[in-house]
Amino acid sequence: MTTIELQINRPGASAVTQAYHADELVVGRSNNANIVVADTSVSRRHARLVCREGRWFVEDLGSRFGTRLNGNALAGTEALHPGDEIRLGETVLRVEHVEGAAQAEAVQAAPLSDNQTIFSVLKPASELMHVDEPGVQASSRLRLLNDVHRALAAPISRETLLQLILDRAFVLLRPDHAAIFLKRPDGELYQAAERRSPQSTGEMLMSRRLADEVAVKGAAALVFDAPLDERFASESVIASGVRSIVAAPFSDAEGCLGMIALCSNMHARRFEEQDLELLVSLASVAAMRVRNIALAEDAAERRVIDRELALARDIQMGMLQRRSLGRSDVDTAARQLPARLVGGDFYEFQMDAGRLWFIIGDVAGKGMAAALMMVMAQTLFRAIAALGLPLGDVTARLNRELARDNQRAMFVTAIAGCLDLATGRMALTNAGHNLPYLLRRNGDVEIVTAANGLALGVMEDATFPLTELTVAPGDALLAYTDGVCDAINPARISFGTEGLERQLRLVAQQPPDLIVNSLFEAVEAYAGDAAQEDDITIVAIRYHGPQDETMA
Amino acid sequence: MDIAETRHGLVFVVAPAGRIDSTTSEALEQALTKAVDAGQRRLVVDFDGVSYISSAGLRVLLVIAKRLKTQPGTLVLCALTDAVRQVFELAGFLPLFLVEPTRDLAIARCGANAP
Repeated sequence: MTTIELQINRPGASAVTQAYHADELVVGRSNNANIVVADTSVSRRHARLVCREGRWFVEDLGSRFGTRLNGNALAGTEALHPGDEIRLGETVLRVEHVEGAAQAEAVQAAPLSDNQTIFSVLKPASELMHVDEPGVQASSRLRLLNDVHRALAAPISRETLLQLILDRAFVLLRPDHAAIFLKRPDGELYQAAERRSPQSTGEMLMSRRLADEVAVKGAAALVFDAPLDERFASESVIASGVRSIVAAPFSDAEGCLGMIALCSNMHARRFEEQDLELLVSLASVAAMRVRNIALAEDAAERRVIDRELALARDIQMGMLQRRSLGRSDVDTAARQLPARLVGGDFYEFQMDAGRLWFIIGDVAGKGMAAALMMVMAQTLFRAIAALGLPLGDVTARLNRELARDNQRAMFVTAIAGCLDLATGRMALTNAGHNLPYLLRRNGDVEIVTAANGLALGVMEDATFPLTELTVAPGDALLAYTDGVCDAINPARISFGTEGLERQLRLVAQQPPDLIVNSLFEAVEAYAGDAAQEDDITIVAIRYHGPQDETMA
Repeated sequence: MDIAETRHGLVFVVAPAGRIDSTTSEALEQALTKAVDAGQRRLVVDFDGVSYISSAGLRVLLVIAKRLKTQPGTLVLCALTDAVRQVFELAGFLPLFLVEPTRDLAIARCGANAP
């Protein structure tokens, strides 16, 4: 370890002289720099002082406005000598003294003990709430708390609250600089509010170590004479010319929400223990209010999300038409129950030139992600089915659209079909879906072994085998999503295709809406109190045979 | 759902146990994504302990298969129970995956097939 002593001259601030025990020092505006200079003409990582083989050098780190050494623009790496002046923007670093590796042994010879903290006073904030105090201070603390409580009687925003806390801190403790740091949900601290006296320059410099002690461990800290403490040599606090710091956590029973820190510069007052006690009182009041505001915000956010979900559900349910086609040659019914507010199941019926197009689909997963995919699939089907293409092409095209740019690999299982109402010829494509049933006029229940294709959205160039059958007048097609069979009872046994078929045989000859409703009731009765785990959809189509539409 | 992870040379084996449905599939997705992110390119998913898989679970395997196709790498599934195999079959997914009856065969296939 080597040493370099620098006199740091910031614009508008008195000079600070500091010895650094290091091999490398980065100077810049960044809080991570070893020497922090709050000067807008200085880059975040502006220049580097580096010791090589016992000699100190300076080099520019690609700063915007460059670095000058003794008035000349720095070209490459140049050696440093006592008396040299390094200029970065408006800031000047004057080299007072340099020591190579050999002399540095002397510094290392008397190391600080490991348990010596950088804090002159560091104690649990709770202890400071109950100290015996002289009358004058007790009354001022009481007045402070009264003030704050009175000001907080009305609901206020977080910003107003933090400004008010800073107001009171300035009036009572007269710092040069004060800042409040709050914790993000991920635990990171961010500066939520700050205030400085007119004389104060520079940024609020937050020592990581201090933040850790106060905002993480909940300690209150009082640091006297920061520059004198050698442990600060590696801390950015030193460079700001801070003489003393007082900091208190915003903590309540739930934990720590953040902290307030006050700094006093060289030329100003030094904080004392009674200042710390006042600040702890102030911080505890602040913590309670910050918590309340956070809770209110969470609740408001949840209300917004709930409202949006309810709206999404309305839109989705609106897309799933339940009105009758109003025809005498065919009768349809459908019903859906999402497991959550919105779901990924869908169906559609659409008439086109004497043919009934239909689809029932199930997007993998449930909830909002599935709902968005479902809206896309249903809308695409409507548009593509209206083009007058053969069913195989319609399904292939729907698949291609869904597979395009499908990063999350969302996919849809579906039965799509087209029924010619004049002839009863029905074409089906099965994209990885549960097989439908044919409910014969005589009450027979037959499974339709529609040739299986790949689910929609998986491979752009997938093709779908066509299954053709003829339905006789009085026959009905019933299709469903796996939420029906996968419905579980409280003993976690699923309804299964057995349950479905048993119920179907009971109602096979009923009108479609009765079939659908009775199936729903059967599933609900079976599930009892067990939670619904998947969206449930059932559609039924009964063909009545060709009709003379003018007579109907 | 528990997920056991073991390494056999270059082959990384992930063995979920229980039901893979729309809730538990997230944990499986995380485990597999983490493995691929960490540079695993030869993955085996052992279904021996899986009693049920929903389409949400299929989607997870599809995502990983797609990623390993572009990386490139190899994904082999093994020990599918009848119930699980049926779900793959129904969705038309069986031809998309390399499937072996046992873990040993899957590891061998994964090693042999890797780029």
